[in-house]
Amino acid sequence: MNLRYIFFAALLVVLGAGLFFLPEKTNTNEMAPEKLHAELFDQTRYVSTDEVAERIINQDPSLFLIDVRTADYYAEYSLPGAANIPLEDLLSPNWEDYLTQEYMDVVFFSNGDIYAEQAWMLANRMGYKNFYIMKGGLNCWFETIIKPVKPESTASNNEFDLYKFRNGASQYFTGGELILSEEIVAEAITVTRKKKKTVASGGC
Amino acid sequence: MTDRSKKYFNPYFGGVMVGLLMLLTFYITGRGLGASGAVKNTVVTAMHSIAPEHTEESTYMSRFLSDDEHPMNNWLVFEVLGVIAGAFLSGSLAGRLKLKVEHSPKITSRRRLVFALLGGLLFGIGSQLGRGCTSGAALSGMASLSTAGFISMMSIFGTAFIAAYFFRKNWI
Amino acid sequence: MGPLIPQGIISGEWNNVFALLIGVVFGFFLEGSGFSSSRKLAGVFYGYDFIVLKFFFTAAITAAVGMIYFGYVGWIDLDMIYVNQSYVSSLIIGGVIMGLGFIMGGFCPGTSVCGAAIGKIDAWVFTGGMFIGIFIFSEAFPLFEGLYNSDNLGSIKIYESLGISRAFFVFALILVALGMFYVTGIIQKKVKKVEY
Repeated sequence: MNLRYIFFAALLVVLGAGLFFLPEKTNTNEMAPEKLHAELFDQTRYVSTDEVAERIINQDPSLFLIDVRTADYYAEYSLPGAANIPLEDLLSPNWEDYLTQEYMDVVFFSNGDIYAEQAWMLANRMGYKNFYIMKGGLNCWFETIIKPVKPESTASNNEFDLYKFRNGASQYFTGGELILSEEIVAEAITVTRKKKKTVASGGC
Repeated sequence: MTDRSKKYFNPYFGGVMVGLLMLLTFYITGRGLGASGAVKNTVVTAMHSIAPEHTEESTYMSRFLSDDEHPMNNWLVFEVLGVIAGAFLSGSLAGRLKLKVEHSPKITSRRRLVFALLGGLLFGIGSQLGRGCTSGAALSGMASLSTAGFISMMSIFGTAFIAAYFFRKNWI
Repeated sequence: MGPLIPQGIISGEWNNVFALLIGVVFGFFLEGSGFSSSRKLAGVFYGYDFIVLKFFFTAAITAAVGMIYFGYVGWIDLDMIYVNQSYVSSLIIGGVIMGLGFIMGGFCPGTSVCGAAIGKIDAWVFTGGMFIGIFIFSEAFPLFEGLYNSDNLGSIKIYESLGISRAFFVFALILVALGMFYVTGIIQKKVKKVEY
């Protein structure tokens, strides 16, 4: 009887001592590959240039644009109201207050998609919420919003509407002369905000 | 020791078995065992059927009401139903099924029942304030090495040890 | 691999089935070890029966050590294990109230259910008291609300709070428990036997 107790006590001590040889933490923060994979193919992280334009024009207070390019690029041109957090500084504690919030839709953009994607991955890994990428970046912004291409005459009405909107937006952002009729510009500015989370058509 | 107590398991054996069971529970559900949560859910459900408006207005109880999930439809409730069945099984196998009030020969049944009621009352309040009882907060909490589990365990047993002197007549 | 249900390996519908089965085993061993008897439980506070202490620490250590090894082998993802939030003041005050309830009533919620299942009338009354207690708490919640939500340290582990390594803490816990088992064995021999 007593011997049995001693045996079990010894077993417990050995098991306990064995804990010293185990690593304290096994890859704690690593995101499971399956989860990352699923998120990478999730299209909801993209917003179109049209949506961004629309929300800037409507002065949507819940929109927060972050330019992840370098300060030089930012000084040259950026979207109105955008903040500049270069990708290499993204993890600096200075920006933490901007990033750890839940109420704003933060949209990353760069010239193309790549830097914005990298910023999104980092933000995702940090556990931040409500992050989006402006699909196509500033290149797409120029092609669609600043210099929209007139659709073919056979195109659908939707595409013409989009063109009309883009033309108006172009006026708004470039502040250029009113080539188009007054009516179109006015209409463009009062566009009501639609909740669309899908990739917009006619983008890049 | 009387013969009767010999029929009980060795406490270390029981402890290891429940420890392994707890391990299995963590493996399956990600959380430990518990008991008081089941009583809480029953209270919330009962109150909700008696006085629905009052329950929905109550700051505490409304926390446990949600539209899609019925509070009774809860892990702990089923677990406690299982505990009743398991205890009945064990009691009947060992021949311990008997209606009785267990108390020290120095006190009356009546006194024992009054204290049982008071004890239950305090445990009810304390388990809600402490977010779990001896099984849920202290035992499972210690198994997951949470600070909360150790605080619970020390304050429950510490207090009981200190207060034991004043209630000794009830037990010895 | 594990925990199974939070990771969606087993669907949530199985939840209740497992709950019932786990409950049956839990109840079986609780009752079988003597937790249905209030006088046996109270023994730990007067030195005539240390079953509570022995059982409690053996179970907690078995599960804790097992879980760490499971985590190491990769059977269970320790980060997904629920860790109670440490609301320090409400935990301590709640614990003090429960401690008083324990010594007065002789049961805790789990054991009173066991006692009730085998026909202990005092356990029925205790369980009834618990319903009333929870009802009182819910009704008087605005009184407790400040305390209930104060001093949250979050889901913190004990070895992090103490600032020591996990292995050291668990090893020390094992040694302390074995020491207590040994000492209580001696005490139990010296204390006058209580018939119950």
